[in-house]
Amino acid sequence: MSDKKKQVTRRQFLNYTLTGVGGFMAAGMLISPLRMAIDPVLQPSGDGDFANVGLSVDDITTEPQPVEWEVEQVDAWYKSDVTRKAFVFKNDQDEIVALSPKCTHLGCMVSWEGSESHPDQFYCPCHDGRFTKDGTNVEGTPPLEPLHVYEHKVENGMLFLGKAYPRGEA
Amino acid sequence: MKWRQDDVNKYITAKEYIDTALLSLLPFHILKDDEISKQAYQSDVLQIFADELERELSGRTMQIPPYTYLHHTDKQQEVSRLNTWIKEIETQPFKHTFLITFDMGWKKYERQLEGQLIWLPVIQVDHIHDNELKRWMHENVKQVSELIRSYW
Ligand code: FES
Repeated sequence: MSDKKKQVTRRQFLNYTLTGVGGFMAAGMLISPLRMAIDPVLQPSGDGDFANVGLSVDDITTEPQPVEWEVEQVDAWYKSDVTRKAFVFKNDQDEIVALSPKCTHLGCMVSWEGSESHPDQFYCPCHDGRFTKDGTNVEGTPPLEPLHVYEHKVENGMLFLGKAYPRGEA
Repeated sequence: MKWRQDDVNKYITAKEYIDTALLSLLPFHILKDDEISKQAYQSDVLQIFADELERELSGRTMQIPPYTYLHHTDKQQEVSRLNTWIKEIETQPFKHTFLITFDMGWKKYERQLEGQLIWLPVIQVDHIHDNELKRWMHENVKQVSELIRSYW
C-alpha cells in the first residue's frame, strides 16, 4: 500500500516535472516572436512619442535639409539613447515632408544629392540606390520601395517628428 | 549589418551586396590602476564609433565582434593571430576588411596586416556624453565612411 502510494507520488512528480519542462519550452517559444516584435531593427519606431527636432517651421525650405534628434529607445533588454535622422523639406503643395534617410534596400544612409551625376535625388553610396525627392525609389536601382516617411506635427512653430512608416501607412 | 541573428540571416540572403568587414581592434589591460580608467573610456568610444560607422554603411558592411588583445603583449604575435581572423573572414567571402583602432602600436606593423588599418587618434573628454565627443564622432564617422567608400 505504502509502495503504491509512493509510486503514484513519483509518477505525479514526473508528470509535474514534464509539464514544467513543456511549459517552459512553450514560454520560450512565446518569447521569440515577442522579442521580434519589439526589436528596434524591425520596428524602428521606439516609444512613439513626438520629439522636437529643433527646427523652426519657418526655416523649412524646398531643399531637403538633414535634422538629427535623440530619443530614448527601449528594446527587450536595454534602454538606450539613439539618434534619429530625417530629411525635411516642403513639397510643391507647400506641405512639410520628413523622410527617413535609411535606404530601403539594405539600410545604408542616403544623402540628398549625394551623387554628382544625379542632382535632385537621394543617393545611397552602398549600391548606388536612388530615390526622387519625394522618396520614390528609382527603378533599375536596388531599392524596391520608397523611403519611409516620419509622421510630423507642428507646435508653436516648431517641427515635431514621431515614427517613420512605409509610405502610405502613416 | 551587426553580428546579431537577424542581421546575419539577412546577410546570408544578400551576400552579394555585403562585401566589407569592419573589425575593431580593442586593447585590454587591467594592471595599472592609474591607466585603466582611460583604457575603459577608449574602449567605450571605440565601440560607439564602430556602431555609428556600421549604421552609416549598414547595407554593405558586416561588423565583426571586436578583436580583443592584451595591450602589452608582443604585437608581432598578435599580427599573425589577427591575420588568421582576417583570412577566415575573407573566406566567406568579404572583399575588404577594415581594422579600426586607437592603438598606434599597430601602425608599425601595418604592412604585415592583411586588412586596411584605420588608426584614429582618440579625443579625450571628461564624460562620454560630452558634446565635443559628439562632434568628434560625427566628423570622424563621416570621414572614415568616405575613406571606406573610396575602396568600393
Ligand atoms: S543599401 Fe542602399 S542601395 Fe543597397
